[in-house]
Amino acid sequence: MNRRDLLQVLGATTATGVAAFSCGDRDEATRIADRRDGRSDVDLEWKKAPCRYCGTGCGVEVGVDEGRVVAVRGDEASPVNRGLLCVKGYHLPAFLYGEDRLLYPRLRDGDGWKRISWDQALDLIASKYQEALDSDGPESVAMYGSGQWTVFDGYAATKWFRGGLRSNNLDPNARLCMASAVTGFMTQFQSDEPMGCYDDFEAGDDFVLWGNNMAEMHPVLFSRILENKRTNPGVRIIDIGTRRTPTTDYADLYVEIVPGSDLALANGILHVLFRDRKLDRAFIEENVIFKRGVEDLDEIGWGCYGDQAESYGFQDRPQDASLEEMRRFLDHYTPEHVSEISGVPPAQIEALAQIYGERDRGTVSLWCMGVNQHTRGTWMNNLITDLHLLTGKIGRPGANPFSLTGQPSACGTAREVGTLANRLPADMVVTNEAHRARAEEIWEIESGTVPPKPGYHTLDMFRAFMRGDVKVMWVQTTNPWVTIPNLHRIERKPDDGRFLVVSDIYPTPTTEAADLVLPAAAWVEREGVFGNSERRTQQWEKMIEPPGEAREDAWQIMEVAKRMGMGHLFPWPENDWHEPMFEEYRRFTLGIGKDLASYQQLRETRGMLWPVVDGKETRYRYAAGHDPYVKKSEGVHFYKAKGYGERAACWIRPYHPPAEVPDGDYPFWLSTGRILEHWHSGSMTRRVKQLHQAAPEAYVEINRADAQQLGVKSGDRVQLTTRRGKLELTARVDGRGKPPRGSVFVPFFDEHRLINRLTLDAMDNISKEPDYKKCAVRVERA
Amino acid sequence: MRGSGRARIVEGRIRSGWLLLAAFLVACGSPEPRVAVPGSAGSKTSAVVRADRRAYDGAPPVIAHEDFGMDCNSCHNEAGMEVEGIGFAPPSPHEATTGMSAISRCRQCHVFQATAELFVANEFQGLTQDLRHGRRLNPLAPPTIPHKTFMRENCLACHSGPAAREPIRTDHPERVRCRQCHVPVETGRLFASPAGP
Repeated sequence: MNRRDLLQVLGATTATGVAAFSCGDRDEATRIADRRDGRSDVDLEWKKAPCRYCGTGCGVEVGVDEGRVVAVRGDEASPVNRGLLCVKGYHLPAFLYGEDRLLYPRLRDGDGWKRISWDQALDLIASKYQEALDSDGPESVAMYGSGQWTVFDGYAATKWFRGGLRSNNLDPNARLCMASAVTGFMTQFQSDEPMGCYDDFEAGDDFVLWGNNMAEMHPVLFSRILENKRTNPGVRIIDIGTRRTPTTDYADLYVEIVPGSDLALANGILHVLFRDRKLDRAFIEENVIFKRGVEDLDEIGWGCYGDQAESYGFQDRPQDASLEEMRRFLDHYTPEHVSEISGVPPAQIEALAQIYGERDRGTVSLWCMGVNQHTRGTWMNNLITDLHLLTGKIGRPGANPFSLTGQPSACGTAREVGTLANRLPADMVVTNEAHRARAEEIWEIESGTVPPKPGYHTLDMFRAFMRGDVKVMWVQTTNPWVTIPNLHRIERKPDDGRFLVVSDIYPTPTTEAADLVLPAAAWVEREGVFGNSERRTQQWEKMIEPPGEAREDAWQIMEVAKRMGMGHLFPWPENDWHEPMFEEYRRFTLGIGKDLASYQQLRETRGMLWPVVDGKETRYRYAAGHDPYVKKSEGVHFYKAKGYGERAACWIRPYHPPAEVPDGDYPFWLSTGRILEHWHSGSMTRRVKQLHQAAPEAYVEINRADAQQLGVKSGDRVQLTTRRGKLELTARVDGRGKPPRGSVFVPFFDEHRLINRLTLDAMDNISKEPDYKKCAVRVERA
Repeated sequence: MRGSGRARIVEGRIRSGWLLLAAFLVACGSPEPRVAVPGSAGSKTSAVVRADRRAYDGAPPVIAHEDFGMDCNSCHNEAGMEVEGIGFAPPSPHEATTGMSAISRCRQCHVFQATAELFVANEFQGLTQDLRHGRRLNPLAPPTIPHKTFMRENCLACHSGPAAREPIRTDHPERVRCRQCHVPVETGRLFASPAGP
């Protein structure tokens, strides 16, 4: 309909007297007719895609008009979100159109930059990698990827690195995010990722949130729990945390813990369950074995002091244990003793034990960064799952331990494709000879190509880069110069003898640190596959052209590989490589309980939960009647845990104190994290008007009594100082988050107020995931 | 602190919508500005102000007032409410009793505006509201619903009462079952093309 037709319609309608248009609306209609030809949403082309941001994986419908995204709407056909989105999701389209999108490859040129062609850029990267390989070997090259990589990007990277460069120095930012959940699941089930799915949110009775501000971080999933609670008044939400958050407003019980004392609390709950004989003995007898690892604090350390500050390679040494040994071990974790460590009243510990111990109520434990970004994050993952294993509340609808993820394909790419430094696709690891052989067979490469030694985990990779042991590093789809803890350690000047390539869609502090910057295609500017928190693999089509010369990450990797004589790794036609690449990757997963759906099926559905067998998805892994790999008629079968006799391992794990605790000089706890409006380092969400205007800058949340004592009001400037740095911020008192006395919280989205200059590079002993939630800080009026 | 913050916000809002607003006023020859808050003293939210509060048609609007620190439902209740000195608080279009639309966390989708500044300029152009009426078979037939109804189950929130803009206000709010006569349009395509050239 053109402008004249539209005005005629308006005129005709008015003439019939059915309704009258005001002059303002007539003017608006004219304006719209001039610009958009009077489109309404039924005239747009709508296609499905998963949301670009968090690990929930909400389905959106993307509305495209004349080659531009003009709207999104929640996909009512998506089983994840059923039409609902959060404020970030509703504002998705605008993140593509920030004025400063990177459009062309550019090379550092003195103090400035010069535009170069793709051919020049790709040749340069290939030559830098080749030079480093020739002079210093495969350990001198590295790549730092992302849980926002599509499956294609991650698969291209792992195949190029392990099967081409013969290096395992490939690690994703999921190391900062999900690594402790991976090691948690692997140590207990010998297979990664949860057994439950989002249907647990309707099926469960009690939801225990361990350090998880779900109302802001996974709002749509929290809505599903709230809806369950609204229609079933018996549903309870238990919020265990170190500060009050918007989640706390909906909790039936708020349990406030001293940072890091969740280890003691979980052991206290286990103590009471043992004491009161609330264990499911029959379940344990049939399905559970017991394990115990190294517990010596001096040997383990925290990864940030002494020699460990350069390289942290602690390895756990598992030993067999027993139910009886666990009972004895838990003897001293009495509610009174645990209360002294955690600050939790003994009555609350008893109440929590009662919740886990009630046989006929479904209990779902939920956690994300509070547990994973923890100097004993793997242990904490283990202890939460222990609670479920010992009470038999696992592998059935509404009763599961459920780890939530923060990135859209932390599961799909980092974990399933296996872009962590020690992993191969589908739960395989580089340290296992048979696994390497399987990868070499599928990749059709010479036996012995994939190296057996794990590469650098993230923090050691950056430490090695700053030492000069790593000569060339390529960073894609992530912003480490905002997100690595103790940022001072990776400040660099150009011409330091190393070469840093960064692919991104906007300028960031990371592109500022780079020698070569490549423009990337984002989200629906390319074809992709993400895997969400509940094992759902979701595919989308390319819908619009990327701006300028931006190209997708996987293409960039394959082009460099071809220039290094490794084109045989990517033998597909240039205009049709997505489906054949996916189908090759899928071969790793078939027949072993990790089975992905076919590409064709992914095209046609709103995602499928693996394992997908005979075209049917699996809602509950290991569960009879749900999982086709379980041949029993009832109960569960942990068939992936071959090394444990196909049983799950219950781990004995003690309490250890955090790496740094408040003292006279630095009397407050500092915790960092996300907020609803901004996603991670903010490079996308801050360019969206509505989101930036809602939350324009980082701030520090302070307890009201502390603020009074410091003489500070909400809105005043305060200075935070840790042993690593200083930062001035605006104080917020009684804002959305309310820390207890002696504790402050700062979000990390603001590249102009970098809280990671203050955080500590302590990390988990097993996963090597950094702890962003606990260090000591001084707070003063600025 | 709060007061000055609010003044800044209002000022910024006016600045950002100023060109459109000016054009609008000139076109209408209206003696006084009719902006600010929906439904205040006889004026209706114009399409321009409505668009300024949304990234695109169908996006949740930002919150057009400062944070009063109150439960949203205390003013945005079932019928809406005239708030002295502020204007009319429209009722929520969301279904109050069932499904994902009934959840109560307003601020997971609607956010306050703490500043009028931008981090970086943005070239996004959202879908604008289609101001044609829902399509009709003939001038006397009931129009179809030209938008999705998910999260907009309560038709009267926008089509009736002081906040309803004139062109979409119903003259028969008493006939509660709107969707008996008005049907949503799920596709722009036809089942079969009419015969003829």
